[in-house]
Amino acid sequence: MDVLLQSGTATPTGTANATAANASAAGPVTTLPETISGALGLTGTLGDLVGGLIGAFLIANIMLGMTALAGPWAKRKITAAFTDRIAVNRIGPFGLLIIVADAVRLLSKELIVPDGVDRPAWDIAPIILPFSALLGFAVIPLGSGLQLADPETGIVFAFAAASIASVGLVMAGYASNNKYSLLGALRSIAQNLAYEIPLVITAASVIIFAGTFRTSEIVAAQTETLVTVAGIAIPGWYAFVNPFAFVLFVLANIAEIGRNPFDIPEAPTEIVAGYQTEYSSVYFVLFYLGEFIHIFLGGALIAVLFLGGPAGPVLPGFVWMVIKMWAFFLFTQWARSAVPRVRIDQLIEIGWKGMLVLSFANLVLTAVIVGVIA
Amino acid sequence: MSLEESQPDTLETATTTAEDIEALLGDLVLDRDDHLNAPGFVVRPDEVQDTLFRLRDEAGYDHLSCVTAQEYEDRYESIYHLKKYDDPTDEVSVVVPTPTDDPVSQSAEPVYRTADWHEREAYDLVGIEYDDHPDLRRILLPETWQGHPLGRDYDQDRPQIVPLREHANPLQEDHASDAGDTMFLNIGPHHPATHGVLHLKTVLDGEQVVDVESDIGYLHRCEEQICQQGTYRYQIMPYPDRWDYISAGLLNEWAYARVAEDLADIEVPEYAQVIRTMGAELCRIAAHMLAVGTFALDVYGDFTAIFMYAVRDREKVQSILEELTGQRLMFNYFRLGGVVWDLPEPREDFFELIRDFLDDLPEALEEYHDMISANEILQVRTVDTGVLPPEVAKSYGATGPVARGSGIDYDLRRDDPYGYYDELDWNVAVEDGCDNYSRLLVRLREVEESAKIIEQCVDLLEDWPEDERTIQSNVPRTIRPDDDTEIYRAVEGAKGELGIYVRADGTEKPARFKIRSPCFSNLQTLPEMSNGEYIPDLIASLGSLDIVLGEVDR
Repeated sequence: MDVLLQSGTATPTGTANATAANASAAGPVTTLPETISGALGLTGTLGDLVGGLIGAFLIANIMLGMTALAGPWAKRKITAAFTDRIAVNRIGPFGLLIIVADAVRLLSKELIVPDGVDRPAWDIAPIILPFSALLGFAVIPLGSGLQLADPETGIVFAFAAASIASVGLVMAGYASNNKYSLLGALRSIAQNLAYEIPLVITAASVIIFAGTFRTSEIVAAQTETLVTVAGIAIPGWYAFVNPFAFVLFVLANIAEIGRNPFDIPEAPTEIVAGYQTEYSSVYFVLFYLGEFIHIFLGGALIAVLFLGGPAGPVLPGFVWMVIKMWAFFLFTQWARSAVPRVRIDQLIEIGWKGMLVLSFANLVLTAVIVGVIA
Repeated sequence: MSLEESQPDTLETATTTAEDIEALLGDLVLDRDDHLNAPGFVVRPDEVQDTLFRLRDEAGYDHLSCVTAQEYEDRYESIYHLKKYDDPTDEVSVVVPTPTDDPVSQSAEPVYRTADWHEREAYDLVGIEYDDHPDLRRILLPETWQGHPLGRDYDQDRPQIVPLREHANPLQEDHASDAGDTMFLNIGPHHPATHGVLHLKTVLDGEQVVDVESDIGYLHRCEEQICQQGTYRYQIMPYPDRWDYISAGLLNEWAYARVAEDLADIEVPEYAQVIRTMGAELCRIAAHMLAVGTFALDVYGDFTAIFMYAVRDREKVQSILEELTGQRLMFNYFRLGGVVWDLPEPREDFFELIRDFLDDLPEALEEYHDMISANEILQVRTVDTGVLPPEVAKSYGATGPVARGSGIDYDLRRDDPYGYYDELDWNVAVEDGCDNYSRLLVRLREVEESAKIIEQCVDLLEDWPEDERTIQSNVPRTIRPDDDTEIYRAVEGAKGELGIYVRADGTEKPARFKIRSPCFSNLQTLPEMSNGEYIPDLIASLGSLDIVLGEVDR
C-alpha cells in the first residue's frame, strides 16, 4: 500500500547514496522506491509498483527486525540491568538466540478463541496494530536514502497512521467479550483522546518553525547551524531551539504509545492485560510486535521533529536514525523500570488540564516568535 | 440447657476486674467459665448483644479478638474473646452455650463488625446459627457443602454430591442487579494482583468500585482440624509454618509455642527466648520485605526494580534463617520449652553473617525510601487512598501494620510482652495517616525496629556464658493438660495479632484448636477502604493489607 503514497512521478536518478540530511530543502528528495526502480531500469507505473513493493518490504523488515531484537531480548536485558538481574543468557551469544526460541514458542502455542468473541473484528484487531505503525514509517526519512514516500502532508500522515492503532485496541477490547478487555479498550480511548491533541499541537509548533509538513524538509530545516561552541557547530535541531516543546512531545508520545508510566490500558496488576487479555499465540505476537513498532515509530517521530532526523557526524544517516530510535526505546524501558504508573483519572487530568494547556501555550508562543522574526 | 460447671478453684486470672465485670453485667451472667487467660462469663444466647454492648461501651473492651465455636457432647458454644486496644492483657471471654437441637445464638455483628466473618466461619465449620446476622452464609467451604466439618456428628465419608444447579458457575453472573448502570467484575481467583487465590466480587460504576465482596476459602486446608489430630509435644509445631508462609514461619510457631507453653505451664530458658526473639524478628523483616515489594509492584505496575531489590534483601534474611534452622521457608525450629538446636557453629561466622546484613540494611532502606516512599507519583497514588479510620479499624478487629497505619498504637510485643521483647530497646511504629501510604511507612519503619531488636539479641548471644546456653527446658515426653482447661493466647505476627485458642480434654491432643488469623480480620476491612475508589486503588489497598491467603483460609 505504500506505493500509493508516493508523491509525484518517479524521477529516477540512481543516487543511492543521497542522504536525506544532505538533500536540499527546495524540493522532494529521491525516495527509496525511485532509487530501486531506477536501479532496475523500470519506469512508469511498473517502476512505481515494483520499487514501492520492494522498498516497503525492506523498510518493514528492518522495523520488524528491530522489534524482534527489542521484544524478546533487549527489553529483558535492559530491565534486568535496572533490577540487578542477568536475564536471558543461556541460548546463543548473550542469549541472543532467545529471539528464535521465543518466536517458535509463541507461534507454536494454541490459538485460543474464546466463546462469544465478535469475529471478524476480533481477528482483524491484532493486524491493525502493527499495520498502523508500519504505515507511519512510510513517510519517515530513515536516512541514507531510505524513505518510502515524501508527500507534502508527510508528518500529518504519520500521526494519522499511528492513531489508527486506537481503532485496533478498541476493536480488540470490544470484540473480546471480556470485561477486562473492555476496560482496557475504554482506557485506551480516553488516554488517546487526552494525549493525541497535545501531541499534534506540539508537533504543530515545529511545523510553524519549519514552515512545511514535508518530513524531508523538516529534517533539512534542522541542518542549519544554531550556534558554534568552541569550533563545534551545534545544529539547529528543534530540541535545542525549543526544549520545552521537546519535553512535551516526548511525554505525550509516551502516553500515546501507552508506555509506563502511562501504560494503564494494559495495567497488568489492575485489569490483567487490558485489551489483549484474551489473545494468545500468533495474535498475541502481533499485538506485541505492534506495541514495539509503535515505540520505534514514536522514536522516529521524535527524531524527525526534534533531533534532526538522520543527521549526525561521521556515521551514515541511517545508523544515526536507528541510534535515535533506540535511544527513545531505552528511555521508555528506563521509565518502565523506574516510574510508577499513575491512576486513570490522574492521567486524564494531566492530559486535559496540564499537557493540553501547555501545548497550546507553546504553540501560541512559537507562532508569535516566528511571526516577529519572520 | 445444660451448662458447664464453673471451676473457681482453678482460676489464675480472677482478679478484681473480673468481679467488676460481673457487677457490670449483673443479671446477664448465668455462670462463670474462666479461661487461663481471662475470666469467662456465660450468658444466654439471646442476650449476647446486650452483654457485648455493655462490655464495649462501659468497660472499654473495644477489640473482639476472636470468635471460637465448638461443639461439646451436650451443647454448642461460641466464645467471644474480648480485649482492649489500650491494654490487650485485660481480657474477658463471653461464653454463649446453645443447645444441640437448636444451635441459634444472637449475632455480635451489630457490636463488632468483625463478628460478621468470624460467625460465618463458626456457622460454616461448626454449625452454630446466628440470629440477626446480616449475611449468614458459608465462608470457607463451598456453598454446596453438606455438613459442618468440625461438628461432632460430621460424617466425612458422606459424598459431597449435589445437584447440578448447585454447581452453577458463580463467574457467569453478569450483573449484580438488573437495575442500574453498574458492571459486575470478578477480580480473581486468578488475577495478577490478588496475592493468591482471592476472589473479589466487585461491582463497578465505570472505573469506580461501588461494592466489593471478598470470596475466600480457596486455600482452606483444614489447618485447625489437622492440629486437633496432632499431639502437643511434636506433631503440631510444623503446621504453623504453613499458615503465613511468607517466611513468617517462626512468628507463627511462636504463636503455638506460647499458647502450649502457657497451657502446660512450661518454662522457656532465657537463652532460648533470645534466640526466638532474634529469629522471629528476622522473619518479620523477610515478611515485610515481600509485603513492601509486592505493594510497590501493585502500584508501580510492571516488574520493576523495587520488587527485585526487596526480594534480594529478603533472600539475605532467608539465608541467615537457613543457617539457623536448616530451612528457608518451613522452619519447624521452635519446640515447646525452647528451640530445637543452638546457633550454628562456628558462632562467630553466624554473628558475622547477621551483622553484615544489619550493616547493609540502612543503606538498603534508604534505597527503598528513595524509590518508593519519596516518589511523588507513588505518593499521589497512595496518600489519602484506601482510608481506614481508627474506629472502623477497631470495629473490624484490624491489627498489625494495618491498625498501626491507622494510628492505633497496638503491638502485642510491647503490650502483652512475651519472649525477650520487654528487655530490649525498640519502638512501636505508628503512623496516623490511615491510608495506603501510612501502612507502607509502618512496614518500612518496622523493618528498622526489627533490625534494632536483632542487633541487641546478637550482642546478648555473643556474650552469653557458654555453660548457660540452655536451649530447651525439661519438657515431659507427652503433655496432657488438665481436662477442660481453655486458653487463648496471641503473639504479634508479621500481619498482626496471631492468636490461638486451645481447649484441652485431658488427652495429649487438643480438643479444639482455633486459629485467629490477623489476615482474616484485616481482609474484612477491604470494602471500607475501597468502596467509591478506583480499581487501581482497590488493588493498592489490597496490597497494603498484605494478606496471605494461606492464613486467611487456613
